[in-house]
Amino acid sequence: MSSSAVEPEAADLVCQLENVQGMVDSLSAVRWKRHQDAVVELSEHGIVLILEESNCLQAKVYLRKELFAQYDYNAEERPRFGVSLGLFVDCLSTFTVPGRATAIEIRYPGPDMQLLLKSLDSSDACIYAEIRTIIPDTVSWDYNFEPAGSVPLSFTVKSAALKEAIDDLEWPGSSIRINLKPAPPSVSFRGEGHGDLQIDLMYNANSDLLLDFNCNRPVSHRYKYKFLRATTSNLPSSVMKENRGSKLTIGRGGMLKVQHLVPVGRAPFPNPHVIDSASHQQQPGRIAYIEFFVKPEEEEDDARND
Amino acid sequence: MKFKAFLTENGVMLLERRFLPALDKLGKTCHLLLTKERVIFLHNLLNGDGIQCIAQFQKEVLFDDYRISSQNEDCIAFAVDLSLLQRAVRSSVSICSEFGAGGSPSNRLQIKLVKKLPPKCTQPMPYLTFETKGYKAAVIQDVPISKPLPRAQVLELRAALELAQELPPTLVQVPDLNQIQNYVDRMRHLGEMLNVSISKYGDLHLQISTALVSLGAEFRKLLVIGEKAQAPPEDENLSAETRHQRAIMRQDGQSVHVSVKHFAKSLQCNLTKPDCAFYGIAPEGASLTVIFQFFVPGTHQTDKSIGLHCRLPVLDPGTN
Repeated sequence: MSSSAVEPEAADLVCQLENVQGMVDSLSAVRWKRHQDAVVELSEHGIVLILEESNCLQAKVYLRKELFAQYDYNAEERPRFGVSLGLFVDCLSTFTVPGRATAIEIRYPGPDMQLLLKSLDSSDACIYAEIRTIIPDTVSWDYNFEPAGSVPLSFTVKSAALKEAIDDLEWPGSSIRINLKPAPPSVSFRGEGHGDLQIDLMYNANSDLLLDFNCNRPVSHRYKYKFLRATTSNLPSSVMKENRGSKLTIGRGGMLKVQHLVPVGRAPFPNPHVIDSASHQQQPGRIAYIEFFVKPEEEEDDARND
Repeated sequence: MKFKAFLTENGVMLLERRFLPALDKLGKTCHLLLTKERVIFLHNLLNGDGIQCIAQFQKEVLFDDYRISSQNEDCIAFAVDLSLLQRAVRSSVSICSEFGAGGSPSNRLQIKLVKKLPPKCTQPMPYLTFETKGYKAAVIQDVPISKPLPRAQVLELRAALELAQELPPTLVQVPDLNQIQNYVDRMRHLGEMLNVSISKYGDLHLQISTALVSLGAEFRKLLVIGEKAQAPPEDENLSAETRHQRAIMRQDGQSVHVSVKHFAKSLQCNLTKPDCAFYGIAPEGASLTVIFQFFVPGTHQTDKSIGLHCRLPVLDPGTN
């Protein structure tokens, strides 16, 4: 039962996901405002969704093909299309049922280049959606993140603590300076605006707040608060619950990379309507990767950082 | 014009926990029609183009020692604010419960129609008065009501009620209302107009279509009451939309557009804890009817002493 009569061989991608909630969670994580257009890129490796704002912030969601129970990719050139993120997430949400995993099939393109979704749970009840896609922007999306030196400048912090710290920094607002110091190993977030607020995260072996810390020289960059906030504003409850850790890396020129891991749970019981491939059975980590790239604010004295 | 009755324990439970919260969500005020045999809550039957809802009870379900008299064939109708009614019943329950389950019959909850002079007024106003005698306290609550409807309007209300009782030729049974409610709650902000198609094959199709998205749900092989037909096997592998279009062409199906808001509102009737629901489209696509069915507790037999149904006005898709 499908919403549109499309021959299977005509589709560039037909994939099945056991639990739509994981996809809702991962896409919601990059939903920092109401109206956002995303670019979706399909490939033999999986699905990547890219968002951009004001040439200063980029987010990417990686849904590797191993997350899907079935992943049939048939395109010769990687298809790319634009879609309203809000609409996509809202449509996916209609498939979710509290306390139960819902399996869906995603198909692209439909007869009119739509993105087609349909539920797979029961042959007698079917939910479907056809989302209109748009031609994506031709703007270069590449933020060229490169390491700042031979030793990476990075730290991993519990996701809930990171979100809390960034939420607290709303009060001073405007710009937030992130400082990394090798001795004593620590990270500080400092906001200077209506008032000053500094949050220090000290790295030591006993603390499980900072899980990892790599820094061989002091480094300091300023970022616009609204972009920094976008990186944690909509973290799904599953990330907070698992509280694994979010990794922050400072690259060349002060470009900040924030990485989150979103669990994409599978159905508690195998779904008889979903074809379970062998590769899927062997896949242990069921994680969607979320990356944010935040450009720093221009410093008056750039020399002190590079 | 007199009305006096005692609410039964079951009546209190039905009203306080199930029906009044649901009816309150359908509209702040409703008409209450009291006849010799029945007690009926009616939303939007006389006025407006909103969703019509009719909840009716045999008088024994809610009351005992039920006394009514009026010059209008012993019928009384008036408008009442449901949240006030709910508050009065709720606080009366808390007073009654001071006695525990085995309260003596003299401490029951009495309801009567009275006229009282409100403070700073010269004209007496009508009230529905709740009298409760507790162990330590006796509480009288006056719920203001509209003036009882004049004879002509009561007749109009009864005629509208008769009309609203008409059953659609085909009704399909939805066994799990929670599933539809959950779905509609999530889809409701994606569009304003919902297309509802019902076929004699037992298919129910809900669809929201906008310029950017088309979102639908199809429930198949539902129990059909009334006119039914065998689903053609060649339709099996078609899309839900095409299948319903073909059913309509064969005159085996009907489709109407209703407001998503109205549809979601009608699902608030789920608070009354019905055992199942039936959807049907009135002849000529005049309205969408939802009938909620209640079983006699512990059985699968319809409890004919309680009735609840809604009629949703249809929209013209051309106007949006």
